[in-house]
Amino acid sequence: MHESAPAAGGAPFVGSYSPRIDALEKASGRADYLADLATGMRAQGLLYASCLRSPYPAARIVSLDTSRAEAVPGVVAVLTCNDDEVRGLKPTNASWTPFFTASYERMSWPSYRDRRVLGDTAHWAGDEVGVVVAAETNEAADAALEALDVEWEQRPFVLDLWEAMEPGAPLVHPEINPEGNTFPPPPPLTGPTFLERGDVEQGFAESDVQVEFETSYHNPDHGCLETRGCMMQWDGDRLTCWTSYYAADQPRMSLANMLEMPLNKVRVMNPYIGGSFGRGNEADQPFLVFTALLAKRCGGRPVLYRMDRRQDFHDTRSPVLYRVRVGARADGTILALHTKAYSRAGAYADDTMGAADEVPREVAELSLAPIPNLRMEAYCVYTNTIPGGVKRGIGNNELNLAWGRLLDEVAERLGLDPVDVALTNMGNPWVSRPDESLAAVLREGAGRIGWDRRRAAPADLTAERAGGPTTGSVKRRGLGMSVHNTWHAAWQEIPRGRVQVRLTLNPDGSVVLDAPTAETGTGSNSCTVFACADALAFLGVGAADITYLAHTDTDRGLKDMVQTDSAVSYLQAELMPNAATELKSKLVAHLARLLEAPEEEIDVRVGRVFWSGGPGEGRPLAGILMQQSDLGSIVVEVEDLPPAQVTGCPFTACFAEVEVDTETGAVEVVQIVQATDCGKVMYRAGADGQLIGGPTMAASEALLEQIVYDERTGLPLNFNWVDYRMATLADAPPVEPVALEVWQGAGNHPASGLGESAVTAAPGAIANAVHNALGVRLGELPITPEKILEALGRGRRAQEAQPVQQARPTQNPGAQP
Amino acid sequence: MSASLAAGLAPPSESATARAVHGVTRLCVNGHDHELVAGRDYAPGDSLATVLRERLGLTGVKVACDQGACGACTVVLDGRPVLSCMTLAAEADGCSVLTVEGLGEDDPLIVAFATQAQPGHGTALQCGFCTPGMVMTAKALLLRTPRPTREQVVEGMAGNICRCGCYPGIVEAVVRAGQMAGERAGEQAGRSAGERTGEPAGDAASAASGAEG
Repeated sequence: MHESAPAAGGAPFVGSYSPRIDALEKASGRADYLADLATGMRAQGLLYASCLRSPYPAARIVSLDTSRAEAVPGVVAVLTCNDDEVRGLKPTNASWTPFFTASYERMSWPSYRDRRVLGDTAHWAGDEVGVVVAAETNEAADAALEALDVEWEQRPFVLDLWEAMEPGAPLVHPEINPEGNTFPPPPPLTGPTFLERGDVEQGFAESDVQVEFETSYHNPDHGCLETRGCMMQWDGDRLTCWTSYYAADQPRMSLANMLEMPLNKVRVMNPYIGGSFGRGNEADQPFLVFTALLAKRCGGRPVLYRMDRRQDFHDTRSPVLYRVRVGARADGTILALHTKAYSRAGAYADDTMGAADEVPREVAELSLAPIPNLRMEAYCVYTNTIPGGVKRGIGNNELNLAWGRLLDEVAERLGLDPVDVALTNMGNPWVSRPDESLAAVLREGAGRIGWDRRRAAPADLTAERAGGPTTGSVKRRGLGMSVHNTWHAAWQEIPRGRVQVRLTLNPDGSVVLDAPTAETGTGSNSCTVFACADALAFLGVGAADITYLAHTDTDRGLKDMVQTDSAVSYLQAELMPNAATELKSKLVAHLARLLEAPEEEIDVRVGRVFWSGGPGEGRPLAGILMQQSDLGSIVVEVEDLPPAQVTGCPFTACFAEVEVDTETGAVEVVQIVQATDCGKVMYRAGADGQLIGGPTMAASEALLEQIVYDERTGLPLNFNWVDYRMATLADAPPVEPVALEVWQGAGNHPASGLGESAVTAAPGAIANAVHNALGVRLGELPITPEKILEALGRGRRAQEAQPVQQARPTQNPGAQP
Repeated sequence: MSASLAAGLAPPSESATARAVHGVTRLCVNGHDHELVAGRDYAPGDSLATVLRERLGLTGVKVACDQGACGACTVVLDGRPVLSCMTLAAEADGCSVLTVEGLGEDDPLIVAFATQAQPGHGTALQCGFCTPGMVMTAKALLLRTPRPTREQVVEGMAGNICRCGCYPGIVEAVVRAGQMAGERAGEQAGRSAGERTGEPAGDAASAASGAEG
């Protein structure tokens, strides 16, 4: 089925346009995901767990009686916040680590241990608190929750970012900050400013033009097709966990640390995973811990905790609102930039500070090095809403919405092309400017979308309307762009530490590759197998001949590569040449014993063995190995750090064309060009898939998706896929993927990740295109028809204010909505 | 109920309703007959997806939104695409159900999704969770429209969600599957004609697998 992949000994597999290695298994429905392992037929004795979720945005359980719940037929175990094993748990945070394995002591944000596992206090409507039950069926578990006698003390709540920052606002986590809802600065910081370069005020004073604006990126859901979950089973004092989290080592560490168990008593496995997109925090989510404790009361039976679709609205992209002030010379050179990031963190801190502080700090170095005077501030604020967390492109999307706006608005004010403003002001300290990679993605993007068609000055539709209906069509087109650095190159992945893989050569010549990483769909599995096949060409095997262990298992002992930073595509592949060399050397030594020939006179080429004194055409390797006495395998394990050479990073540009219906406010994305430089394209079909899927998700976030709360009750209104709209096949914009190899990284495969950056620049490009079409700027995502109509003075508010003039509004709402 | 009807499920026939009253649901799934007794084999409120997954072990049927909004659970019921998460098992009484497990690995759709890799379009799947639903939605489409155009594929699969965003690859795969099936049918017809005339015929299956490349 995979014969379309290159033949062994022919063109390399790496960089090829091949099908995915797992495509047949997935297409035929054979690929197992968590829920497929956890059916009653396959998991004997399976029990179903269900957790009480707070019906209020802020409340505390003051009394709890579980006797009626325990009497529900089918209920096997009940665990509550009053049980000793729960009360004894340490406070935690659901983001111990961005991409490496971290222990409790070394978690990313020890200042924000604001989560209690199955605590008695709810901080958002939906919070898992108080009670979790295990029962023979899902229905019995839910019925038990219904039968609980819970007395709640409702508390004042706050949903809005600005209200939460006001003095006297209800405090969400007084144990973290007794003074207010803003996070205390993470040490060693003592204030909101996390980056200060040059003298910003001096820079503004020297600037010819200053622009100030605000952008707001909301909190889209990950929208993975597979909902979150885990299955836990005890065998004596040993715990086995199956999870849909995108790592295995981290949940093992987290469970072991929280439950105070040695690591060898916890085994974690990942089956296939139905989408991740940075749904990263489950490794350290309380639900893993309480499901494990619940299972301990179930006599060795497996216990499944799997969220339904509503519950799977569990954590989101961290929303960030930027207030930006920028100063530039008349030639477009930015002299000063001051950003204030405000993040509505929701009920728990998790990795919000990563989005508002850590990532922008990194981008400032990777992309914004030319800006001489820079100040960046972060304000992360607790509210009683769904927690923000990690989603594909964490922090970058939010910052790029502001950066794209900055390029566009500075260019507009100075009569320049935003492409030129980007070329002037972006780059990193390791590469001379203008950055070749930056220039290449901008050139490719602009050329392919037809950037020269873009009207230099945006349409001023509002003025036209003020003067009467002067346009012939109700639909207006516009072009916009934005640009960002990619991430990550190998040197940025050093904190991961060692990468480990194992190769097994069976005596019949077949190969098993253990390169553990959770398979979430990224395509890294194909990259790794292709690199393995290329390196093992001497064995005469192709990619289809290599068995790749798709499910992770911590008992196999190798460290897993967490599916973050879009970096796994090359990190494991990097080791393959060395692994192959070691395998060959071990094989030759083995053959020397079997053939009683000196090692230096033995060679293996394309699956045949040649040695002095042997037949001229050699002999098939398998034929020799299958005649050895023990029929054992040859196994090599290889490990190495990622190449440390600092190479900077390449860039990605998004160019978008939109068509806006000025009567309905509907925005259609007519075309997107996503041009990314990734140094080395590891897997072309996979790269195209990422470069198409990224902007598709981004356009959906920018135009369709939105979590809505009822301000009066503090309850979410649309935690379902009918009311929370995501792009379906019919909504997908046409995307042209462009994968370039201009920049060069270090190592055997000098690549940079591309999957996350593919999602980053499209929202800014779309917002700029809308401005180009209409002459109005919409700084707040999502850009809905209502907001467009309001901005054009045709919305409900405008019409209510001027009912007589609704047909021909005379009030120009201005460029600032 | 309404969603499954909207998706093309005919109301149960009178005899089917009568059987359902007696608590027996008869399904022909992937060519195998099953007689399911309510209360013993399934709960009266169980969806078709639940019965297929939990009772018959057909875990290729995926449930994602559980609300009829994403198409991941689509199966083919009497030739029509049906959202199995929104269909009661009892409603399908007397019907013929096809799931992804019922397609052979040489089915043109499976082949097309498994081999999709076309420059500029990427692959037809990444995480793969939506894929069986995509395949079965496409199966029903091909039953109605054997060689669909791209526009017909987009219209026929408009409601399916792939969060990985493999939409262009999916559309290409379905168009290609239609072409592949058409070619096979042509070869089949040619072979039958060849048998009649005594001329040697090619092997349709090997020709089709050659076309995969």
